[in-house]
Amino acid sequence: MKHPGGETLALLAGGELGFLDRWFQRRHVSGCESCQREIEAFSDLRSAASELSELPEVGWGRLAAEMRANIRLGLAAGQCVRKEPASHEPRFLPAPRSLVACASLAALLVMALWIQRPLPGRRQAAQQNGIVLEATGNGIGLQEGGQRLILMHPGAKEVTYSVGAQGSMRARYVDAESGYVMINNVYVQ
Amino acid sequence: MSSKILSLILAGVAALCAQDTPLDPHSSVKINLPADSPVSLISANMGESRASARGGAMLLDLHMELTLRNSGPRNIRGVTLLVLAQEVTPGGRASATQTSLDVSPGAVFPMHISVRLLRPLQVAGGPLVEVSLDGVLFDNLYFYGPNRLESRRSLTAWELEAQRDRQHLKSVLAAYGPEGLKRSMLDSLNRQAERPRLDVIVSRGGRSTTSAAGAERTAQFAFLKFPDAPVEALAGSAQIAGSEARAPRVQIRNRSAKPVRYVELGWIVRDRQGREFMAASLPASNPELLLAPGQSDHLLQDSTLKFSRNGAEAIAVDGMTGFISQVEYADGKVWVPNRTSLESAQLLRVLAPSPEEQRLTDLYRKKGLSALMEELKKF
Repeated sequence: MKHPGGETLALLAGGELGFLDRWFQRRHVSGCESCQREIEAFSDLRSAASELSELPEVGWGRLAAEMRANIRLGLAAGQCVRKEPASHEPRFLPAPRSLVACASLAALLVMALWIQRPLPGRRQAAQQNGIVLEATGNGIGLQEGGQRLILMHPGAKEVTYSVGAQGSMRARYVDAESGYVMINNVYVQ
Repeated sequence: MSSKILSLILAGVAALCAQDTPLDPHSSVKINLPADSPVSLISANMGESRASARGGAMLLDLHMELTLRNSGPRNIRGVTLLVLAQEVTPGGRASATQTSLDVSPGAVFPMHISVRLLRPLQVAGGPLVEVSLDGVLFDNLYFYGPNRLESRRSLTAWELEAQRDRQHLKSVLAAYGPEGLKRSMLDSLNRQAERPRLDVIVSRGGRSTTSAAGAERTAQFAFLKFPDAPVEALAGSAQIAGSEARAPRVQIRNRSAKPVRYVELGWIVRDRQGREFMAASLPASNPELLLAPGQSDHLLQDSTLKFSRNGAEAIAVDGMTGFISQVEYADGKVWVPNRTSLESAQLLRVLAPSPEEQRLTDLYRKKGLSALMEELKKF
């Protein structure tokens, strides 16, 4: 069984997936404990990141600069107080623990910013399109979030489509077998 | 980009894995006819009806054939069934109407339901689809049914149009004989073939696109006046931007002696080449409308319509014409334009034929003139 990628699960956890993507992924996740755990982890992380972003005076750029300065200061102070090593060769790498801490913090920051980033393409498409009905020569279709689904295609040759400005559509045709006129209506809501 | 590719791959996998199963007529579909219904169910055939899982939704592809019996005392002219998979889901509700019928008491008749519906995949048990009666119209215009879909008004209007068009053809036959009737049929078939058609997208609320449609302007309606119309359109406008029209608003006045509860306006758009297209009907938005004699009100809809042809060619709206196409009085009686009004306003070349005219021309095309003449003698 193939699992969705981390990006997709993160989008699903944040409610950012499109209409059909959401169906596909929910269908998989509902039967996959592993992905459910990942989604929970993303959700927890997202909640934590949201709380962080609500702090009034946190500027991520300033915080990162301060952290770099503190790390440099700590390294410099460490150089001052530690005993001279036997060798006088310069050390280019910081202490492993500092390196791990920095990497973890950086990863946390990147993940938080990535999860909280705006998705203009998806959101604007959803807002602009909403749920719409369309009547074309191919039938009556329903669109949501850029996805399209044909709801009515009677298969008759001479179909007359009519549109109600309140959000309904009608297909009318003569049934080939019975000779009666069939009229089908679909509604936006 | 990678998420799009991933979505496409997942969509493909989902499509391959989608379970596509035929519907069980006993457990999947429930057919509700009231105990005192004037139509009774003889049989239900699910045909090629199937259900398939599409992500988190279920797509129901219905191709049902019901056999119904007229249990009422008079001939049936029309029946509307409500087909419901999910009340609140977009695409979860549809209706199927059969009109231009002449089913005598005790006779059986088929009714096809061919429509696709959506419903959530994970919904508690019960049938997938419920089919219920919304209304039956008899030849004396008596209506029976819960009328949730306002099928009383629709069925009555179609029946009045049928009577109008049958009467017109009978008059032609009486005045000009079979050759005259044949010419009328050929004229109608030509009009149907040449009638300009639009692809229309309807969305509720604001504009569906932004800068691509261009600057928005207010365009005024021109109105066609019918002498016998109980309601007149006084003034109206809509916001136009390129091929989009939104927020139509039309002032109307009841000039009849009876209160009116429903008004519908036919909306024609004209492009820059002067071609006219039937765009939509503009119904009254207020379900509580009650227009006393002499009183004025507005027809308005908070919706956006986008027009194109042949799938891609955008139609730039240059002008708009409106005409009163249907009125329902408070007592349930319905008015539709007469044939003379439609002909004199040259609306026949733009409007779709009535259901009855569509049926009669289909009969003429398939079975010939003598079959049509026999049909016109029936009622």
